Amino acid sequence: MQRPKPPLNILIVEDEPLIAMDLEMMVEDAGHSVVAEATSLYDAEELNDDLQPHLAFVDIQLALDTSGLDVSQLIQKRWPRTIIVFVTANPKIIPDDFAGAHGVMPKPLSRSGFLSAMKYIQEGVCDPPPTVQQPNSFTASPAFAATWNK
Amino acid sequence: MDQRDNWHLTDLLHAERGRGDPFAAAVRSTRMPMAITDPAQPDNPIVFVNEAFQLLTGYSREECIGKNCRFLQGDNTDPVAVAKVRKAVEAGDDIAIDLLNYRKDGSTFWNALYLSPVRGEDGAVQFFFASQLDVTERVESQRRIAGQKEQVDHEVRLRTADLEALLEAQSLLLHEVDHRVKNNLSVIGSLLRMQIRGAEEPVVRRALRSTMERVDAMAAIHRRLYQADDVRYFELSSFVVNLIQDAVNASAYNSLTLDSSVQRTVLPSEKATSAGLLINEVLLNLFETYLPLAAVKLDCHSDGKTISVTIGTRLLSKTPHHEMPAISAKLIARLAAQLEADVAWDRTLDGTSATIRIPVSSNHAET
Repeated sequence: MQRPKPPLNILIVEDEPLIAMDLEMMVEDAGHSVVAEATSLYDAEELNDDLQPHLAFVDIQLALDTSGLDVSQLIQKRWPRTIIVFVTANPKIIPDDFAGAHGVMPKPLSRSGFLSAMKYIQEGVCDPPPTVQQPNSFTASPAFAATWNK
Repeated sequence: MDQRDNWHLTDLLHAERGRGDPFAAAVRSTRMPMAITDPAQPDNPIVFVNEAFQLLTGYSREECIGKNCRFLQGDNTDPVAVAKVRKAVEAGDDIAIDLLNYRKDGSTFWNALYLSPVRGEDGAVQFFFASQLDVTERVESQRRIAGQKEQVDHEVRLRTADLEALLEAQSLLLHEVDHRVKNNLSVIGSLLRMQIRGAEEPVVRRALRSTMERVDAMAAIHRRLYQADDVRYFELSSFVVNLIQDAVNASAYNSLTLDSSVQRTVLPSEKATSAGLLINEVLLNLFETYLPLAAVKLDCHSDGKTISVTIGTRLLSKTPHHEMPAISAKLIARLAAQLEADVAWDRTLDGTSATIRIPVSSNHAET
C-alpha cells in the first residue's frame, strides 16, 4: 500500500474557534497542513468528497448539539483510510472500541504534548510502526496498530 | 349447672380414676382452658371442658358437651391449619398450632392449641386432651412488627434510590464543570500560543513561553483531576512522571535519559493545583535551556505523612547555574508556604538535585 509522505493533509473538527486556531498553528509547526475545518456534523457533511484527508482531529462536543462520534462514523464511510483522532476534554465517554476511530488526545493540550503525539501519529501513518514511544498525550486504539500492517 | 358440681362429670369419662383424684382436680381448677374429646363416639365429640375453657370461649358446659371442637372455628379460620389438626387426630399424633377461634359473642381470638392423644394400656387412643391458650396479643404483635418492618424496609429502599440518584447527579455535575474548566484552560493555552507567535521581541516571547508552560502544567493537572475512582484524591505520582517524561521528550538534548523510582502517592484534590505548579516550577528551573542535560533522576515516595519528590540532573559538562528568575523564586516560595511544604536545593557544577516535601494533610488539621 502506498503510504502518504509529509506534509499530511489534516481535517480539524472543533467548535471552539480559538482551539481550532491553536490546533491549526501547531499542525503547521509540525510540518503538516490543514485542508479543511468543520464546527459541526452538518459542516462535515458538506465537505467535498475529493478532500481525502490523511488525518482528522475530531472534538466530541460540537456545534448545533452534534457529536464527534457521529462525525467519526461519517468520515469512516466517506474516507475509510483516514486516521481519526478524538481531541476531547471528556475521554471517558468514548466507547471501549473507540467506535472505529484510531486514538484520543485528551484536552487541555499542551504544546509539547501535541507535538510528541503528532510525531507518533505521523510515523504510524507514513512509516509504520512508530519508532518513538507512544506519548502520554496520545492513546491509540487497536485500530491504529491494525493499519500498520496493511 | 353450678360449677362446683362439675366433679360429677368425671363419672362420664369412664376413667379408672374417681372422685378425689388430684389429677382430675388439677384439670378442673387450672386457669388454663382445657377440653377432652372421645374418639370412640361419632365425630370425636367434647366430653369435658373446664371452667377456664368456658370463660375463654363464652360457652357454657352444656353448649360444649357433645360437639366437635370445630364449633369454635369460623369464616376466617385457616383451612390449612384445620387440616393439620384433622390429620393429627386421624394419625393419633400430638399437634401444637395457632388457630383463629370464635367466641359465643362472635369475637375472635388466636388459640394456641395443644392437642395430644391419651392411650390406654392396649396402646389404642382412648381420649384426646386439648389445652387452649389465648395468644391474640402475641400473634397480633408479631404481625404488626412484620408489617412495620416491611414498611421500614420499603422506606429505606426509596431513600437509598433517592440518594443514589442524587449522587449520580452530583457526579455528572462535577464532571460537567470539570469539562468546562478543561475547555477554558485549553482556550487559555491557545491564546498564549497565539500571542507568542505574534510577539517579535525575544524577551516577550520568553516571558509568554514561561507562562504558557505554567498553564500547560495546570492543564496536565486538570486532565488527571477527578478521573480517579475516589474524586477526593489526586494521583500526584503519575502526574509527576508524565510531567518529567514530557519535559524529557521536549528537550533539545536527544540523548537525555530518565531514571525513575516512583511509589504511587496521592494528595487531597484541593491541593493538586498548588502541588503541581510547585513541582513544575522546580522542574522548569532544572530544565533551563542553558543547562546541557545528560540524565534526569526522579524519586517519588510517601511515608504516609509526607510526600517526597526528588528531581536530580546530571550535566554533560560543568556549567555554573544562573540565578533563578525572581518570579520563579516567588512562585516557589508562595506555593510552598501555601502547602506547608519545603524545597531543598543541592547545586553543583555537574548537576542539581531538588527535593520537594509536601505534607499529605495540613499540619493544623486533625488527623
